[in-house]
Amino acid sequence: MNLKSKLTKRIKELWEHKIFRYALVLHSFYFILSIVLFFMVYREKNDFIIFYNVGDIFLNDIENLYNQTYYLWDFRYFPLSALFFIPFSILSFEVAFVIFNVFNMFLNVLICIILYKIIVLVRMEDHEKDDKRVILYISIYLMGLPHVLNYIYGQINLYITFFILLSLYIFLKFNTYKWQLLGSFILGISIIMKPTAFFLLPFLIIFNFNLEKKKLKFDFLRSLIRIIGAITPILLNFILFLLYPPLWEGFIESNFTGSNPIALNFSFSISKLITNFCYFYNIPFNQLFVLIGVIVIVGALGFIIFILRRFEKNSIIYGYIFGIIIMLLAYFDSWDHHLLNITPILIIIIFNLPRHSKITKPIKLSLFFFNFFDLAFVGIWYLIYPLFPYNFESTFFLILAFYGISKYCLLRQSKKNKEV
Amino acid sequence: MKQKTFFFNFILFFLLISSIVSTVTAFEYRIGVREDQELIWKCNVCNKINMDIIFGSDWDDSGIFNNLSQGKRMKWEINSVTINETNININFSIWEWTSENIWGFKDNDSELDYFSNQSDYSQKLNFSQYSSFVPFLFPVPVGEYMGGLSLNEWYDVDNRVLPTLNVEIRKDEILPGFPSKDIQIIAIYNDHGILNSYKLYIKSNVVIVDISLDFLPFYVIPTLIGLTTIISLSIIFYIVKKRKTRNILK
Repeated sequence: MNLKSKLTKRIKELWEHKIFRYALVLHSFYFILSIVLFFMVYREKNDFIIFYNVGDIFLNDIENLYNQTYYLWDFRYFPLSALFFIPFSILSFEVAFVIFNVFNMFLNVLICIILYKIIVLVRMEDHEKDDKRVILYISIYLMGLPHVLNYIYGQINLYITFFILLSLYIFLKFNTYKWQLLGSFILGISIIMKPTAFFLLPFLIIFNFNLEKKKLKFDFLRSLIRIIGAITPILLNFILFLLYPPLWEGFIESNFTGSNPIALNFSFSISKLITNFCYFYNIPFNQLFVLIGVIVIVGALGFIIFILRRFEKNSIIYGYIFGIIIMLLAYFDSWDHHLLNITPILIIIIFNLPRHSKITKPIKLSLFFFNFFDLAFVGIWYLIYPLFPYNFESTFFLILAFYGISKYCLLRQSKKNKEV
Repeated sequence: MKQKTFFFNFILFFLLISSIVSTVTAFEYRIGVREDQELIWKCNVCNKINMDIIFGSDWDDSGIFNNLSQGKRMKWEINSVTINETNININFSIWEWTSENIWGFKDNDSELDYFSNQSDYSQKLNFSQYSSFVPFLFPVPVGEYMGGLSLNEWYDVDNRVLPTLNVEIRKDEILPGFPSKDIQIIAIYNDHGILNSYKLYIKSNVVIVDISLDFLPFYVIPTLIGLTTIISLSIIFYIVKKRKTRNILK
């Protein structure tokens, strides 16, 4: 059977599932709606304008890459991320937007395929053997409302999700050093595009302390290979920082010390909730200290729990989720379209947990909130911000997912077996 | 073959639509306030000592900050709004900062002038004619109007979430000794182009002036009450359910 007939057969099989049909129709609607809204409302006000300009500035005036007067909103990512946008910046803006979003939709297809492959790879033995439930959850991912904003804004979250899932698949599937290097290199590429996966780096270290046996396990060589692989793409940016010193200053200012982190907005990170509180009540604060404080507290907690985990098999999935949750809780800008980076990992975890595990409950709750309700609370924020400028609901569900995963990591093997 | 044709037609259709609608649309700016409308701002914080040090002792002798101090209010009443192809003009009466509850007679008449098309401003714009360094009223859509202005390096427009004008003026940047310290201003406007919140900061994000619009849209309190009720009920429902489950298990 060649690839084409294999694909056709698979699509026919999937089409027979009602939920998948609904998901496809709804997702196509999101896509078309985003194109219509772009041309009618958001053409002058979306994130793609920045990516579009970045490609052009990188080619023609690289020293001004972080000169924010050239952008509608601040450009904050690593300079090499601009390379991805050069092909779009040579087209007319509108055509570039449409092609970019068609590519985004294609990425979603790839994400679903990798998601399916990972689930099949890590699914617990007590889950149903057929694909019905897997298709249901993939359909839920496709129906997610954050896709609407991702398409409308011309955002790059699907690139990040794709790279994160691809690297995770490689780590889970292949064990050799060269594959470990490749997996982490792909993760590094995702970080230069957008640093969502940055706090995932410590979780690549294979480090485990067995509480019962009081024994430390540390796979130095494998950890080193992973870290080298992941930081190589990031370090390549430092060549540009060395060649063009204003780039470094601009990068630091736009990310950590500029005025933007003070402004009131509906980001759901803990850092932002704190700065919104300080802004609202005129409490003096230093945004860098707030950021570092939250990273240290949440990051250390996640990392310690991860080290003390009571299992080894597929533990990297939990490292990934910790890393992404820490980033979303700590960094100032955590928007609802960023949730597209976390929902596929939550789905993987649902299948990696025992079928009737109690821990699945908070994970499922968080998944459904992120997928279907978060957007409503953004709307509510706009209504109540003059009196209560905190979009804390997603923060709560992130903490809930963090709690569920931590609980599973620390659960004794005997209790795990009992759950199965 | 059929599929390929469909695919290419789809792409061509999008490219065609894109090129048709790619002509740049110009905004028609208007004013978000109506004649006879009253606008009242209140001063929540005013650190006179720091203001004296930074702007000199006469900073509150004239202009928009005339007689400003904590707890006082200022009122504008819109007299007329004129919009034509080239200009937007707002004429208003001012009741300067006062702690009296009865407004009495107006103190002044004033006006704001904007070009209808931001590109008509021939040079980089700043608002140093106002002691607040930002206007209290902008044409609407405010985000688009501010975003289209060519402002000098003090200003940064951020209309991602709320239309916000960030201002950063370094020490001695305007005149030697003026301002005598680095200052930062965050001015947030509402959908009507009215200054909703004004905060003047010095180093370490210390607020020395905080002015806000003395008006709360009608939906704010009901929505907040609704949200609080839903969250409280969810928590109660969760606790009751948990207890019931525990009792059944016992």
